[in-house]
Amino acid sequence: MLKKAAAFLKKDFLMESSYRLAFLSNFFGILVGILSYFFINKLFAGQIAPHLAPFGVDYFSYVLLSTAFFGYVGVGLGSFSERIYAEQQQGTLEAIILTPTRISTILLSLSLWNLVLATVDMFIYACLAVFLFNISFANINILSAIVIFVLTILSFSALGIISSSFIVIFKRGNPLGWILGSLEGLIGGVYFPVTVLPGWMQFLAKLFPITYAINAIQLAVYRNYSVSQLSREILFLAAFSAVLLPLAVFIFKRGLDKSRRDGTLGQY
Amino acid sequence: MATRILTHLSFSVRLDFMLKVDSITKDFLLPISFRRIARLDFKRLPAVHALKDVSFDLPKGSVLAILGPNGAGKTTILKTLATLIIPDSGTVRLNDLILGKDDDRIKAAIGLMTSAERSFYWRLTGRQNLEFFAAMQGLSPDRIKTRIAELYDLFGINYGDRRFDSYSTGMQQKLGLMRAVLHDPELLLLDEPTKSLDYAGAVALRDFIKDMMVKKHGKTVIFTTHQMEEAAGFADLFLILHNGRAHAYGSLGQLRAQAGLPDGGLGEIFMKLTGGQTHA
Repeated sequence: MLKKAAAFLKKDFLMESSYRLAFLSNFFGILVGILSYFFINKLFAGQIAPHLAPFGVDYFSYVLLSTAFFGYVGVGLGSFSERIYAEQQQGTLEAIILTPTRISTILLSLSLWNLVLATVDMFIYACLAVFLFNISFANINILSAIVIFVLTILSFSALGIISSSFIVIFKRGNPLGWILGSLEGLIGGVYFPVTVLPGWMQFLAKLFPITYAINAIQLAVYRNYSVSQLSREILFLAAFSAVLLPLAVFIFKRGLDKSRRDGTLGQY
Repeated sequence: MATRILTHLSFSVRLDFMLKVDSITKDFLLPISFRRIARLDFKRLPAVHALKDVSFDLPKGSVLAILGPNGAGKTTILKTLATLIIPDSGTVRLNDLILGKDDDRIKAAIGLMTSAERSFYWRLTGRQNLEFFAAMQGLSPDRIKTRIAELYDLFGINYGDRRFDSYSTGMQQKLGLMRAVLHDPELLLLDEPTKSLDYAGAVALRDFIKDMMVKKHGKTVIFTTHQMEEAAGFADLFLILHNGRAHAYGSLGQLRAQAGLPDGGLGEIFMKLTGGQTHA
């Protein structure tokens, strides 16, 4: 399994590195995004300050961390459907399915490159935050942050695998991915704390794992919260992953079988 | 029809079959169009019969040509044997392996060369493509190196380190064949292997498959084509397919006998056995 995952990673690296401008444009994209938040912070910081009291930071520090962290959510949520669609377009999905490789190995391998990219992005965010904007991560509880990272990726991978089943069957159109991607940015506390929202939206936010993930990562990074202090969030994310991951792999296999029955595996 | 073909076959060929295909049927349902959904018309359209009760047995070390016009069901058969399409009914046995139950072992025992150009990573070199697919076949890193070197030698390839998007059609076909044999499979499934090749390229590829793959390495080969004369000089056995139905199966002599054309060419035999239909 690991050798096959490594082969995928190497292939994706070679593919990605053949597009020389991509890395540079990604870097400038992050820089422009951060600068936008920096100036939004200057404009509205005072108004939102009471909502940020639990995290002990200003708006800029809050949004910088949650935006960087949201990249990992995107790995789980978007990478499977993106990669499956890319393989379908290249015509290589059939050739991969034709090899004696477990579906779980293919799914894991498909997401690895996006995980590496999200980590690189996170590193860029961290460097810019520390060296350009003097944000301090001195209070970070590393163990808590790692646990939240892992559980977040697992939780959103489950949703991502389910949404990629739509791509396998319908080729285009991924309603689950669109709904989750859009709604979670709005109500999950990525761009502002959930407490800013009206009551009914705050209730809705509690149903989404992103809310727990963002809240937990802010507290782990800026307030040094331990694993036990974050037990509510960790339990929610763990339960979400434990229930949805096997279900997601099952749904994906069923989607693949439907595509094989319809004879459309190679189509896009 | 299936029974007739099998009875006919049982008089003639060896019994060490490696592949037994029994009454494979595959219908494809057509999707309902938006226009019909808007009219609230959800009635299913008639299914397309891609394969209807197709049966044949294939001895080890033989070359089978599946003949038929476009849309006859040739690619559907190959993709079904390759586990990429699930049949509606029927059974396929490859040695002691059963399709649908032992798919991973069947995948390890077959190599499929598709006619589609889109099945490689165009921005990678030929070698990088082969390295990736060899790893997915489960070959160890050392074995991948030696196997690719062997195949480059065998195929006489010196352009492996060029990007795939710079390959000519012939080079792409060759790389497709190399990928199909990377893991040294017993059964090769070749979907119109000489399509898009010029005459000399097609002859060279056919000779290579026959001499190197079959005679020297003992592979069993199934290939599809709609070019009758190409098949006649290449295959030992022929399956005539039309509108998803197997109209005849056997050696050229057996087909001649069945068609009542003692000196007939494959084209004439095909026309006779399919009732003179040239299109699906």
